[in-house]
Amino acid sequence: MCHRRVVESNQNPDFPNQYLPQREQRQHRGDERANSSPAATMPPPLTHPLFSPPELSYTHTSLLLQPPIRPDARTPTQFRPIIAETNILPGTNGSARICFPDGNEAVVGVKAEVERSAGVIGSLLRKGGRGEGGGGDDNEEEGRKGVGENAWVELTIEIPGLRDDDALPVFLAAMLNEALLASGDLVDRLWINQRWHWKLYIDILLLSPPLSYPIPLLSLTTHLALLSARLPRLISEADEDPLFDNDWEASIHLYPRHNKSSEPTPSKPTATKPKPREQPPVTLLVTVVGENIFFDPSLEEIAVADLLLAVSISETIDDSEPPPEPKPTTTKPPRNIRLLSLRTIDPPARLTPPGVPDALNTAVTQAETPKNKAATTDADVDYSGVWVPPKGGSKRKLIGRIIQMVIEHGGVGEEVLEGLEGVDVG
Amino acid sequence: MSMNRKNLDSEDTKWELQEFVSGWYEIPAAMTDRRRINGPPGGSSPVIFASSLGIGGRSVKRPSRIRPPDELRKIFLKTGLTPLASGSAYLELSPSANTGETCDSLAPSSSALKLTCAVHGPRPLPRSAPFTPQIQLSTHIKFASFAARQRRGYIRDASERDLAVHLETALRGVIIGNRWPKSSVEVVITVLEGEEDRWWGDETGGGTTGGSAGGWGMMNVLAGCITVASAAIADAGIDCLDLVSGGVAAIVKTPQSQHEAPDRDTDMGEIGKNGRLQLVIDPAPSEHQEIYAACVVGYLSTRDEITELWLKGNIPGTTSFSTPMQMAEVGGLLDKAVEAAVAVRLVLGEAVREAAELKAGQNRNNKE
Repeated sequence: MCHRRVVESNQNPDFPNQYLPQREQRQHRGDERANSSPAATMPPPLTHPLFSPPELSYTHTSLLLQPPIRPDARTPTQFRPIIAETNILPGTNGSARICFPDGNEAVVGVKAEVERSAGVIGSLLRKGGRGEGGGGDDNEEEGRKGVGENAWVELTIEIPGLRDDDALPVFLAAMLNEALLASGDLVDRLWINQRWHWKLYIDILLLSPPLSYPIPLLSLTTHLALLSARLPRLISEADEDPLFDNDWEASIHLYPRHNKSSEPTPSKPTATKPKPREQPPVTLLVTVVGENIFFDPSLEEIAVADLLLAVSISETIDDSEPPPEPKPTTTKPPRNIRLLSLRTIDPPARLTPPGVPDALNTAVTQAETPKNKAATTDADVDYSGVWVPPKGGSKRKLIGRIIQMVIEHGGVGEEVLEGLEGVDVG
Repeated sequence: MSMNRKNLDSEDTKWELQEFVSGWYEIPAAMTDRRRINGPPGGSSPVIFASSLGIGGRSVKRPSRIRPPDELRKIFLKTGLTPLASGSAYLELSPSANTGETCDSLAPSSSALKLTCAVHGPRPLPRSAPFTPQIQLSTHIKFASFAARQRRGYIRDASERDLAVHLETALRGVIIGNRWPKSSVEVVITVLEGEEDRWWGDETGGGTTGGSAGGWGMMNVLAGCITVASAAIADAGIDCLDLVSGGVAAIVKTPQSQHEAPDRDTDMGEIGKNGRLQLVIDPAPSEHQEIYAACVVGYLSTRDEITELWLKGNIPGTTSFSTPMQMAEVGGLLDKAVEAAVAVRLVLGEAVREAAELKAGQNRNNKE
């Protein structure tokens, strides 16, 4: 159903080319573009949704209902089905691709390079000052905490039709990056020795022009690509120049796996208790209309949202805890989900044109008496059924409710992570 | 390409440029500045002083917070300092008071925040621009090249653009945009002195930075930007629902020794052997050894609404996976940030009122 609606809007006769990349638009129009027609300078539909006030009012009203009716008949927490695959690019350390049924598609490649660390003296002296030796494993693990620099991870996003300094790719990249770096676990794992480290390049390519805010798409794809990423095994010791095993079979995962039997352990044989493993983050997009909360919104829903919130979570898997005994009831054990970041996104609804109620419409009130013309103050006018762009902010209580829905046991976060586990990451 | 680069930051030409540039798909990922004489590209490394590493018995001490956890730094805010702009404001946070110990180093122990904001508009859009039913708001935040210990370039980098997006989100919710169709307003903020992401003694290795797309210092800068932009917009006489003010709160590690009487309101529990988690408002990153999480809000105090929320961080501890614990942590952080914003709002209101009285007085004098 969702698919059908998108196809319809693509065939909108007023804007036949609205979803084509701008280069193609230019070719189509040819010479007539020379005197600046409004469509030629039209910003992408994402930031200025191309819906009329009656359309917006219709969607808004149906989303305000109790229970709400979404344009594609999903439940408020239901996600659109996705097609996902990993390890599709042989030239990368890890890669993934995800397609949404509305035609959005993203490819992510993760590449790692060995790079010389800056500030060598500082880290040498710091280590000297920390204390003798560090005999046990435990101490060494402690010592490796906080050695990573955030600059070791570089994330870029390319979206067709948008310049790389447009607001959208910039804040998408910032959002994904801050979730990735929130715990510092990842950058610490990129540390090789005091003089060398891995530099991780995460390149995200959106293959289709953005139909809706592509945050969930990009973040899920990045999650899978990072899970499938492998680094060659280090065979040199301590502070030597790094030398790696050229057997790709022996490579280790960037995000360590549960060592069942054959899996080589990432750092050292786990004689001691295994450390809890943190998984790559997932960023979810949430919209609020009135009191109703919707996950994975489509373009129509975003166009009428009062609030757009990006919520990043990550899961930590603790292998040291024995798996709980399977109980007769089939309830699943809670996952260790942690909130990493939250940020509001400017809802495009604020930029939409307002509807004009009949009382203020001169085409309707023209023939009427001056008595009716007095109804020009806002209080006298009936705004029901007329689209009014939202103003102001949102309540704290609502944000609390969103967080609760994401992280609670049996909540949306668990559902998403469970779905992602179904993807074979190699 | 170099032709396009010339006026990238000027919003007036952006429409034409967008049209022109969008035909190019091969825009270089990192735009380099070829028009000015720049320093060597990453060829030099900063000087490290032995005293910062604690060698030879001399060591520089990290400044420590002597304010109570729920007290802001002093704020200086004044509107109307840029005469040519239709509205302007200047905000300064006083550097944290020194603990009184004599310092060996000449380097200042902590930074202050200095922001200047100019608002241009509302003014009509160029004729070539398409119709807009709402006012077109654009925000620019630029760090002066001398604003931080690391030199900033002339072209805005990713973190500056990201801050501008945050600011736009915060402001768009308060401006009553439909009163100015077909017009635009520009909010331009120059950061004269930025907040540091960490104490300079930590820069030689490790220390908490927050994230590459803006560390902890950026959150303070954003809160300051929201407040100063709000004052400048009020000065320009643009209709708003309320004065939006920015507030920051953070969860930090406090050494056990400094924390004699656990405050029920701010104490977040014990961490490790010798530290406690504490909620503080208006954190100066150089004063804290470790910041775990921080939150910025843009808050409308008369409507009790949030237009901008930016929260990030990771709180250590094994119990924090439970939903009620996390909800309490996030909720506490959010409430403290709002508390900070309410306190800032007092200063903001006072500054705007002062300016309005001054203007009213001038008008009266002119009439007489």
